[in-house]
Amino acid sequence: MKNSSLINGSRTIVYSFILGIYLFSSTAVATNRKHYSTFQQQTHQISGIITDGNGPLPGVTISIKGKTTTSISDYDGQYTIAATPADILLFSFIGFKTVEIISSSQTTVNVQLTEDATTLQEVKVNTGYYSVKESERTGSIAKISAKDIEKQPVTNVLAAMQGRMAGVNITQTTGVSGGGFDLQIRGQNSLRSDGNRPLYIINGVPYSSDPVGFGATATVMPTLTSPLNNLNPGDIESIEVLKDADATAIYGSRGANGVILITTKRGKKGKTTFTTNYSNGIGKVTRFMNLMNTNQYLEMRREAFANDGYTTYPASAYEVNGTWDQTRNTNWQKVLTGGTANIMNLQSSVSGGNEQTQFIFNGNYGTETTVFPANFGYKKGNARVNLNHSSENKKFGINFSAGYTVQDNNQPSTDLTTISRRLAPNAPALYDASGNLNWENSTWENPLSHLNGKSLSNTTDLVANAVLSYQLPFQLELKSSFGYTDLKHKESSTFPSTIYDPAYGLGSEFSSLFTNTTTRQSWIVEPQLNWHTEFGKGKISILVGSTFNQLNGQQLVLAGEGFTSNSLIYDLASASTVTIMSSGDTEYKYQAFFGRANFSWSDQYFLNVTGRRDGSSRFGPGNKFATFGAIGAAWLFSKATFIKDGNGSFLSFGKLRASYGTTGNDQIGDYQYLDTYSSNGNPYQGTIGIETTRLFNPDFGWESNKKFEIAAELGFFKDRIFLTSGWFRNTSSSQLVGIPLPGTTGFSSIQANLDASVQNSGIELTLRTVNFQKKNFGWSSNFNISVLKNKLLRFPDLASSTYANQYVIGEPLNIVKVYNYTGLNSVTGLYEFEDFNGDGLFSAKDDRQYLVDLNPEFYGGLQNQLNYKGIQLDFLFQFVKQLNYNSASSLGLPGSRNNQTTDVLDRWQNQGDLGPFQQYSTGVNTAVSSAFIRYRGSNATISDASYVRLKNVSLSYTLPSYWLKGVTCQINLQAQNLLTFTSYKGADPEFRTRGVLPPLRIITTGVQLTY
Amino acid sequence: MKPIFNPKSILFKIQKKCIPVIFMGYCLACITLLSACDNFVETDQPSSQLSTPVVFESPTTATAAMVAIYAQLRSSTLLTGSPLGLSNQMGHYADELTFYGDSENSTSGFYTNSVLASNEAVATLWTSSYRVVYNTNAMLEGIAASSSLSLDKANQLTGEALFVRALVHFYLVNLYGEIPYITTTDYRQNRVASRLPVAKVYELIIADLNKAYSLLPENEESGERVRPNQYTAQALLARVYLFDEKWDEASNAASALLNNTATYALQDDLNTVFLNTSSSTIWQFSPFFYGSATEEGNLFIFTAGPPPFTALSDALLNSFEPMDQRKISWTTAVSDGNMTWYYASKYKDNSSVSFSSEYSVVFRLEEQYLIRAEARTRAGDLIGAKEDLNIIRNRAGLPNTTAISQDELLNAVLKERRVELFTEHGHRFFDLKRYGKLDSALSNKIGWNTTDALFPIPETELLLNPNLSPQNLGY
Repeated sequence: MKNSSLINGSRTIVYSFILGIYLFSSTAVATNRKHYSTFQQQTHQISGIITDGNGPLPGVTISIKGKTTTSISDYDGQYTIAATPADILLFSFIGFKTVEIISSSQTTVNVQLTEDATTLQEVKVNTGYYSVKESERTGSIAKISAKDIEKQPVTNVLAAMQGRMAGVNITQTTGVSGGGFDLQIRGQNSLRSDGNRPLYIINGVPYSSDPVGFGATATVMPTLTSPLNNLNPGDIESIEVLKDADATAIYGSRGANGVILITTKRGKKGKTTFTTNYSNGIGKVTRFMNLMNTNQYLEMRREAFANDGYTTYPASAYEVNGTWDQTRNTNWQKVLTGGTANIMNLQSSVSGGNEQTQFIFNGNYGTETTVFPANFGYKKGNARVNLNHSSENKKFGINFSAGYTVQDNNQPSTDLTTISRRLAPNAPALYDASGNLNWENSTWENPLSHLNGKSLSNTTDLVANAVLSYQLPFQLELKSSFGYTDLKHKESSTFPSTIYDPAYGLGSEFSSLFTNTTTRQSWIVEPQLNWHTEFGKGKISILVGSTFNQLNGQQLVLAGEGFTSNSLIYDLASASTVTIMSSGDTEYKYQAFFGRANFSWSDQYFLNVTGRRDGSSRFGPGNKFATFGAIGAAWLFSKATFIKDGNGSFLSFGKLRASYGTTGNDQIGDYQYLDTYSSNGNPYQGTIGIETTRLFNPDFGWESNKKFEIAAELGFFKDRIFLTSGWFRNTSSSQLVGIPLPGTTGFSSIQANLDASVQNSGIELTLRTVNFQKKNFGWSSNFNISVLKNKLLRFPDLASSTYANQYVIGEPLNIVKVYNYTGLNSVTGLYEFEDFNGDGLFSAKDDRQYLVDLNPEFYGGLQNQLNYKGIQLDFLFQFVKQLNYNSASSLGLPGSRNNQTTDVLDRWQNQGDLGPFQQYSTGVNTAVSSAFIRYRGSNATISDASYVRLKNVSLSYTLPSYWLKGVTCQINLQAQNLLTFTSYKGADPEFRTRGVLPPLRIITTGVQLTY
Repeated sequence: MKPIFNPKSILFKIQKKCIPVIFMGYCLACITLLSACDNFVETDQPSSQLSTPVVFESPTTATAAMVAIYAQLRSSTLLTGSPLGLSNQMGHYADELTFYGDSENSTSGFYTNSVLASNEAVATLWTSSYRVVYNTNAMLEGIAASSSLSLDKANQLTGEALFVRALVHFYLVNLYGEIPYITTTDYRQNRVASRLPVAKVYELIIADLNKAYSLLPENEESGERVRPNQYTAQALLARVYLFDEKWDEASNAASALLNNTATYALQDDLNTVFLNTSSSTIWQFSPFFYGSATEEGNLFIFTAGPPPFTALSDALLNSFEPMDQRKISWTTAVSDGNMTWYYASKYKDNSSVSFSSEYSVVFRLEEQYLIRAEARTRAGDLIGAKEDLNIIRNRAGLPNTTAISQDELLNAVLKERRVELFTEHGHRFFDLKRYGKLDSALSNKIGWNTTDALFPIPETELLLNPNLSPQNLGY
């Protein structure tokens, strides 16, 4: 009902719009007739469809060379224009190469436009509060648009950005659907691991990326649930990443880690268009470890027991003492995580509008099952609407946008990955003869029992905003944006008694439930005043504005234990004890005044000054306010006469730009300056105890981050080769950190400004080339690479601080100090290490002195785009050069009750053996296990984890338009994480967290209909 | 039905004339806000937090801060009956328990005596203990600064905080050797704290306990023996003096308790010793809620073999003399037809019941008899010692001791402590250490080394505070 009335409503608009166009074009035709009649030439109607090789191209201007006649293609790419046979038709559109065609006497002219790098410089880039022409921007901004996002079968927006932007490093944290991503823009600025998140802005509304999850209630995830999963990639028009001072200083205190601007799709004027996109596919784990089989495993265990001096196997060594069948062999990785996930996505949108009002309505529904051997899944549905209206006199404008997302995630409460790698290959069968879980006389914990516990989450999220603008006299524009977000996240983990061996007779009185309800509401109001003027060759734009922003968060975490029945496990009232694990309300308030002044001279010299004064409730009295600012300049030297005059110059575009400024960071959590007690949820004598909330410090203040960048942008051969290269150096000082403290202080850290400076510097290169460009065939490439260096510049009294054993001046923050592995002693069969202080003993403090840098050395991506007629092929290689912990760091002591990689078979057995692995032990030989622990904390377990990954492949074919009248149909095949090339010894080289499900290789097929 | 998002109805209704007026008004409002907005970023104190000075103005909130400390000891560190506590970890580390759980579990490292400096359980034990110490110091400072607590309340809470501070340091010094004795909340001092000689630590423990004794009330106010009183301080003092080899003081402190027969008396029936109404209990933990089983019951009890986590060791089971009623009352056999295992059944409930009759006992009178027996033996009073020892033996259905010489009697006390106090907060390990018998008693364990008598100082702590160096020998 709703839909049809919406369509009826818009139809009226569309009809009036069409009528308008008809009236307009009929006058044009009439004028032309008069004009041409003097030349005695016959005009005729020419019509056709304009495409970009992918689909119809609306909004293309069709004009006749030397004449004023114009027309615009509609939503289906269709156009009509009147011309004489001698006329030359011009088809032009921003971002595409203009095509000239002599009309002759054809009545149908179908045109395929190809993208033109040259005109990309005219595209406007969103910088948050204002937008600039690509060619005139003074800041450093990376961008991807819907075109790239839509090619990827991903549910998380951050996944869509991987490998596509210079200076942006994104890693996935788990392959379990609904999991998160880590994102760093230009390296680690803050010593706090949770202080490196960029600021996310959706259509002008800041979106808090603070986790909404809680450890005990999202047990399957290695990191706390992030709210960023709420965004639907299909809704997004573009993502802009602001990187340098010039671009970020206008976000002041919140810009230090970069700003990510997300703009959702807007309606386009023209005929009401429906687009439906359906895709379906599968996902499988990318890589497994190469683990021992039963023979190899049993050999290892027997040898370990023999080495340790056991003459009979202990009663609990079921694998070797004859309790378990020693001929069984199961590849547990395949059985427990080797399933196939089914992925389905359906997206529909309706858009249209007239000159004054445009709208788009988007709906999306997607499901994803898991690779675990049970029926789990992730569902996400969302709806978004965008309305744009301007008054007849164009003075008043309003843009309204709202999106609502529902996510439903149902996963096992335990990730089976770790178990699958550790379980003995001769462990018993999962099911007994009658199909029940097999417990093998209580000699093992059946891994499938974990699947009886569930980790559920349900998130609903509303993001709405409106921008009103009004054109005042004297070229003043008054604008204000209003935004509101409302997020409700519920998650729970259950541990029913059925996860335990029934022989123990544990009933539902041992079942437990953990629930977490997090809600978060925020609003923002940002009134702004714009002024623009031109004088002679000069132009001035000035913007002043202010921000009022408030965020309220509530979290309640409950634990229920001892249920009347397992069927009532979601009913807290049926629990015999209910404990409040965490509860709290937080209030965050933020205000700012900001301004920007931009001067340009003869479209050649640009100067941009931005500033912001910020106040944040996260700081104590007297420290709440701080000022930030930046200056940026650009020189478009290709417009200088000395270059422009050199005719036929191979240089088609040249720009130098530089910026310098300061930004800040207030990601420190709320209320850290208060000296308070809060409830610890642990009753005694019927009273809930209260405890000191934190070690408080009333005096901490803002940290500052100084950013400097210079860059050159060069276009050659009509911009067919376009190179952007930039060098940046960010220095952050008086960092706000939780300074680590020894346990004797009662706490693990205290919030304070650290008198230390950290420098991130690096080079970013982006190269865009049009390799081949013909009517039917085109090939273009995009290459980006970032080389980053991180360095601790200054740290007074480092030696006497608690960081003494963590950092080294002049070295990166992300170093680890490890033992230096010197090799295997072929006599003792033990690992040996360098004794740095030569005292004959090994202590972490004195002998973990070997530095390993875990920062990626460089990373980037190479994207290729090929099209031939209606076929388009797109593929992206992502590459990272880095070191990472290998499998030896996560698998436990070789010889203990843990499966191992087959590498470990090369171990020391007799004097003279060279290993490289040391002798086996079950864990009771302290010499072996301490050597192993040192080995795990040495450079031996950190090895090359560089990889090249075929991250994304997308093949699409647009059916010729004459096949289906009025309908554009595109079929596509998309793949993610298709191939990985690496010498890494372990599961997946991308992961930092160990023992979690690797990312999935996803292949989907889809069809898109537009009519 | 009216469309929700009909552009016509939403947008076209806005009267064009109104627009400038609305905007001008809005502008004015903003300007007004701008001028008065420095207060905008002030926020109220969060509803879930209470300012520290306010906590110590009312006896209710001050008491809530104190009981939080007991709740910590009961649920998460040192004295807890959960796997994290000493009853479990030290029971495995010595020879009371056999471990059947997963080799990745922290208890496995304790059982095989292969605890390394990087062991997380050892680090957690250290940091959570010092967290308790911090909380006691915060209590002491809060009460000292308070102007409105009554003198009685202030004395009681001060005494309790001092008692707990001494108690925690007592365990730490016996586990880690030389340790810092923390008496302030000032992190600038505490982060560079140095280790003190063991004798100095004992001196400070005794000083705190004496002061606690002078401040604590004689009678426990709830009647449930869940808050320390004067006698609890005495009980710990007796133990501390014994460990510090001050035999007379140990005897005297134990006597102070043993003489108060009106309040403290042995239960004749072994099955009632661990009931919450037992008159031999000196101090016990109030349960999580009235009805929850003890952590010990949860941990030790199993109903089918092989045991999922832990069972009593053969060594312990074999050390019971024939006819010892404690083996019957306090251990329970579980069999799968072929094999039989035993668990400690001092506590009988392992899941919530409508109203629990068992609390976790921390100090009980039996230990005081055995303290005095040992102190008297060492001081040469063999007759008095035998009297004390026989009281415990007779209650367990055993005849008088046959020990004659001082050495024999000392060994008899050690053996009696083993079968009386098993799986209670690591007594066995501390006893063997005190007697210098760790190596002889534990050498049959494959992973045992002489240097295992002390835990390592956690590696992370050494890295953060260089003053804690050097590491204990053997790590």
